[in-house]
Amino acid sequence: MMLADLRYRLRALFRRDAMERELTDELGFHLELEIGKHMRAGLSRAEAERRARIEFGGVEQIREDARAARGVARLDALLQDVRYGWRSLTSRPGFAAAVVLTLGLGIGANVAMFGVLDRLLLRPPAFLSAPDAVHRVYWSFVWDGGVRTERIFEYRRYLDLKQSVTSFDALAAFTDATVAIGRGADSRQMTVAAVSASFFDFFDAPATVGRYFTEQEDAMPAGQNVAVLAHGFWQSAYGGRSTVLGEELYAGEVRYAIIGVAPQGFVGMPVDEAPAAFVPITTYAHAGSPDFAQDYSWSWLEILARRRSGVSVEQASADLSVAFARSWEAQREQASSQPPAAEVRVAGELSPVHFARGPDAGPEGRIALWVMGVALIVLLIAAANVINLMLARALHRRREIALRLALGVSRGRLLQQLMMETLLLALLGGVAGVAAAHWGGGVLRALFLRADDVAGVATDGRTLVFAGILTLATALLTGFAPALQALRVDVAGTLKGARDGGYRSSRVRSTLLLLQAALSVVLLVGAGLFVRSLLNVRSHDLGYDVDPVVIVEANARGVELNRDQRNALADRMLEAALAVPGVRSASLLTSAPFLGSEGRGAPVVAGRDSLNLLGRYVLQAGSPSYFQTVGTDIVRGRAFTTADGAGSMPVVVISEGMAHAVWPGVDPIGAQMRLGNDTTAWTVIGVAENIDAREIGGDPEFWYYMPIEQHKAVFNAAARPVLFARVQGQGSDYVAALRERVQRELPGDAYVRVTPFREIIARQQRSWRVGATMFVSFAGLALILAGIGLYSVIAYAVAQRTREIGVRIALGARMTSVMLMIVSQGVLFALSGIIIGGTVALFAGRWIEPLLFSASPADPLVYGSVAGLLLVIAIAATVRPALRASRVDPTVALRAD
Amino acid sequence: MEDRLDMPQGTLDLLILKSLSLGAMHGWAISERIRSASSAALQVPQGSLYPALHRLERRGWIRAEWGASENNRRAKFYELTRAGRKQLARETAEWEKLTTAVGLVLRMV
Repeated sequence: MMLADLRYRLRALFRRDAMERELTDELGFHLELEIGKHMRAGLSRAEAERRARIEFGGVEQIREDARAARGVARLDALLQDVRYGWRSLTSRPGFAAAVVLTLGLGIGANVAMFGVLDRLLLRPPAFLSAPDAVHRVYWSFVWDGGVRTERIFEYRRYLDLKQSVTSFDALAAFTDATVAIGRGADSRQMTVAAVSASFFDFFDAPATVGRYFTEQEDAMPAGQNVAVLAHGFWQSAYGGRSTVLGEELYAGEVRYAIIGVAPQGFVGMPVDEAPAAFVPITTYAHAGSPDFAQDYSWSWLEILARRRSGVSVEQASADLSVAFARSWEAQREQASSQPPAAEVRVAGELSPVHFARGPDAGPEGRIALWVMGVALIVLLIAAANVINLMLARALHRRREIALRLALGVSRGRLLQQLMMETLLLALLGGVAGVAAAHWGGGVLRALFLRADDVAGVATDGRTLVFAGILTLATALLTGFAPALQALRVDVAGTLKGARDGGYRSSRVRSTLLLLQAALSVVLLVGAGLFVRSLLNVRSHDLGYDVDPVVIVEANARGVELNRDQRNALADRMLEAALAVPGVRSASLLTSAPFLGSEGRGAPVVAGRDSLNLLGRYVLQAGSPSYFQTVGTDIVRGRAFTTADGAGSMPVVVISEGMAHAVWPGVDPIGAQMRLGNDTTAWTVIGVAENIDAREIGGDPEFWYYMPIEQHKAVFNAAARPVLFARVQGQGSDYVAALRERVQRELPGDAYVRVTPFREIIARQQRSWRVGATMFVSFAGLALILAGIGLYSVIAYAVAQRTREIGVRIALGARMTSVMLMIVSQGVLFALSGIIIGGTVALFAGRWIEPLLFSASPADPLVYGSVAGLLLVIAIAATVRPALRASRVDPTVALRAD
Repeated sequence: MEDRLDMPQGTLDLLILKSLSLGAMHGWAISERIRSASSAALQVPQGSLYPALHRLERRGWIRAEWGASENNRRAKFYELTRAGRKQLARETAEWEKLTTAVGLVLRMV
């Protein structure tokens, strides 16, 4: 019987038309016989027909009941609704296009942002197994009066941890480096991931070709020269040949033998740029410094840890803290000046694998969350517009709906039908949105996620699921109220042709308008604050010039140079740079802001101790033209000159902050300091302005500057092949010329890299730029949508009030007063929006403050401009309808009824 | 017609099955049969007849076939299936039990 039932239902569903026809025939036949019966009883044909029909009742109702009895009513009705909805949409393509476009923009913004947010904060790295048990390792200790949290460790520290932790079944060390890959003119700067052999155990990503390296190949004191290619690089550089095994990969200063290829999409721990290859971390470190594992002086790697099953995060953190404290004590044996672990409260910390969720995350994650919120608000504004459009449409459809209600179609059924129409619209909008996010979202991903070599959202399951859910939610949000409104018709009245004079839904529409205006104000204020903050960060004085300065670095790989040769190379590079037309001056250096610095610890000054607790000291050794080249001002005393050579008195210039900290209240000029165990006394000859070298607007580091000739002589050091050049105009215009000219001086496979300082600083300003760009574009979108909403509502109201306006004009109202009446409506909305939105923004501003750069969340200029902008938009949106109103011809308007 | 009874809930199915136990017939004939057999006391609400027929057909108790009517018109004839016969017996027994019980209660007081 079950089977018969199923067969019947299937037939009912797929042979629906045939069954409907049969039913029509059957009912017709029945009626015919009934009429015949009444006629035989003596009634006239007409009277018999009437009787039969009354007894029979509503044919539509019977048909619907019969359909329900067939057991496929629901599904059947659904299919019918889809067809009906589609017809209804295609019959008004303009309306459909407006709604689809509006929803597409709103949904697209959200889908694109979700794709970004998901990768920043939610989705674990590709192929990572048991992501919940895997953590990035941090540690913290009290230093310099505050708690410092770090995630960059020494290899020695990694070994210490590996030895003493018990709560983890795996630890891995990883880092990434930008090195030259290839040789000669074909060489390119690419990222290489240096990882411990255990790193691959964290992932479930079997090698596509060959294998990964083993513990034996990643061993102390130096690993083997083996490398695993990333899939993308294997494709682009080796054409995806499977015979690649055993071939050479020349990366940095090491020639590696290729032993495997990682699967597609495997990037390890995502960093700024997808790596070209994975190499043993001990091989990489040994090439940089053969005694890399000896002491605690070189922090350069990150640690990944996987908890044993059954061990809680708390237990594991406690275990980690003990291990860190033990390691700290081991370090104390090497450097006895260090306070004991208990005193500085050494503690280990386990964070999610996402960098953006860690304790030292940049503001990207938080900004992305804000922007996601902003995108949702844009969708709300878009939805409000669509609701308004639908309400207007519902009014137009009153007759149609009244007719169908009169024909016996139930309200529930009609509601379902109207909702299906909205759902179709929302689905189209969702498709448009995904397309927009797919093509336009690349910009977003480039802003937020430099790293991922992932395709667009349209091929990403998680993002598509999100898009689907969002689309359904949007359909419910936009469809329900207008559909209910549509069903609230007075059937008899409407059919009789009574014009429903009242503009019934006007209260709903006004509320929506107000909401739009207020939300737009909130977004515009946010945009204004971020723009203000970006301007502030741009105009912030870093203590050196940015635009005319470039940094020229040589990677002297493949050549063994002794100290004299290295010094000679640096001098030749300096001369070569100066030979480029437009280069004003150039200077060698040992530290560069945001790139790397030479730390020599705190100076030794007679009568002062614990100077290392006052701040972070950085040594800079430069050519005589150093200050002039980078544009750092001397605020007291003098800069060093060519006269301060190797043989003359050792001199030093200190930063203002260092002067105040080390010699508080005393003129430091003429004071002396020593460095470490060296006995040379350096005499302070000048004070330079503070510079921002680690964080824009952060606490300045203590920089001290010495002539490079004296630095070389005293510390028996070689000059690094790096220099600053100051050019006339923009540094970016000189990149090619400098590279070409300096490259000529380099031996062997050495490679030169030229970076305008603007690029380096732009990277530091990224989060503020991202915030400003996103807020401005989304707030602009919101403003446009709100403007369109205001325009359509006012225009509709004017159309509705044509009669009233006609009466006014007939009674002698002047054109200007009619226009003023309409425009003032728009202005009223704008003003209310400004007040409500401004209040909300003032409160919300407190949360956004940490993301701003010395900008007040209550900046009156921002609020003022937003208010002005919204008023202008409100007036612009109402001018056209107002003009139309003023041109109403009273004779025509009054005759219209 | 004034003595018409409202058809108790669920009895329409039983009456249709009973009518068809005498042989295949079309919708109108079923309603006429019920009316005449009940001396016009039971009027089949015509709006519910066809949905009921569709429901019974779906359950597999009756099956439908197109054939020629008395005056040679195309009509849909319904007849009982084997399952329909069993169902009729079951429902008749239940109905009798119910009416007996209700009758007993009514006579009690």
